[in-house]
Amino acid sequence: MFKDLDPILHSQLRLAIVSLLISVKEAEFTFLREKTNSTAGNLSVQINKLKEAGYIDVVKQFKDNYPLTTCRITSAGVQAFEQYVKDLHSYLNIDVNIDIGISSDGKK
Amino acid sequence: MENDKPISGQEGLHLIQKMIFIAKQEQRNDGVGWIWWGWMLFGASLFSLLNARYNWVSPYFFWDTLGVIALIYFIIRSIRYFSGARRKVVRTYTGELIHKLNIGFFVSLLFIMVAMNGVLNPMAGFPMLVNLYGFWILVYGTAMNFRPFIIGAFVAWAMGIAGLFVKTYEAVLLTHALAVLGGYIIPGHIANYTFRKLNREVGHFSV
Repeated sequence: MFKDLDPILHSQLRLAIVSLLISVKEAEFTFLREKTNSTAGNLSVQINKLKEAGYIDVVKQFKDNYPLTTCRITSAGVQAFEQYVKDLHSYLNIDVNIDIGISSDGKK
Repeated sequence: MENDKPISGQEGLHLIQKMIFIAKQEQRNDGVGWIWWGWMLFGASLFSLLNARYNWVSPYFFWDTLGVIALIYFIIRSIRYFSGARRKVVRTYTGELIHKLNIGFFVSLLFIMVAMNGVLNPMAGFPMLVNLYGFWILVYGTAMNFRPFIIGAFVAWAMGIAGLFVKTYEAVLLTHALAVLGGYIIPGHIANYTFRKLNREVGHFSV
């Protein structure tokens, strides 16, 4: 049924990550872990998959000797997310009205 | 949350809505800052009004006290900000706009307060302050899409205009107090109530 849906986004944790990042400018790893209620290992793997797909940018640095990972969605990620929501809409054949804070030209 | 758990279309939509709701909740203001700042300004206005009538202490005693409290608060905030003690784990476009707006507001506020201690008559100075409050509240309310602040901005401006035409210093202080009540305090309490209510809803929002 969902063979045409983007396989990168059609996963619970990856979809949750992208849905969070679509509404903010950038978020730290700890924020994503807390809000998705996931383990650090799982989250790290899924973030890498999204990064490899070009949907998010990941910046890794150190602050006060602690690792600090920051994620932000890319324009490709925004487009993929919008397409995913449209595809879900057509599959479910319902009137979906999700306010994702993005204008029609893809800008936040 | 599991990494590759298969989800249905309905679950996917529900998950998207939940995560966007959670992210937006992070951007909301609990209104506490508005409530504290508002009540302090309101108190300073009313006590100054009573002081003008009964001559308890020097005319600017309550404003000076408020200024010292505000200065201490901003020094503590600055130290905590630059030391990274309250570093944000998420940054939003709205948050950055509000941050810059706050800087602009406090610089403008300081500008008018310095003028009021020199060339600007307090009879005109207080309406100028209220005018600035209205501008700040309107932009803030629009950025946060929170109607009580937008309405509060127009209440403040109405009081500011009234303050330009009243004849006594006590009346100017009263218009200032009413502007703060309508622009800061009431919207602040509504924001606080809404914030707590939405926080409870996040807890009940299950996938």
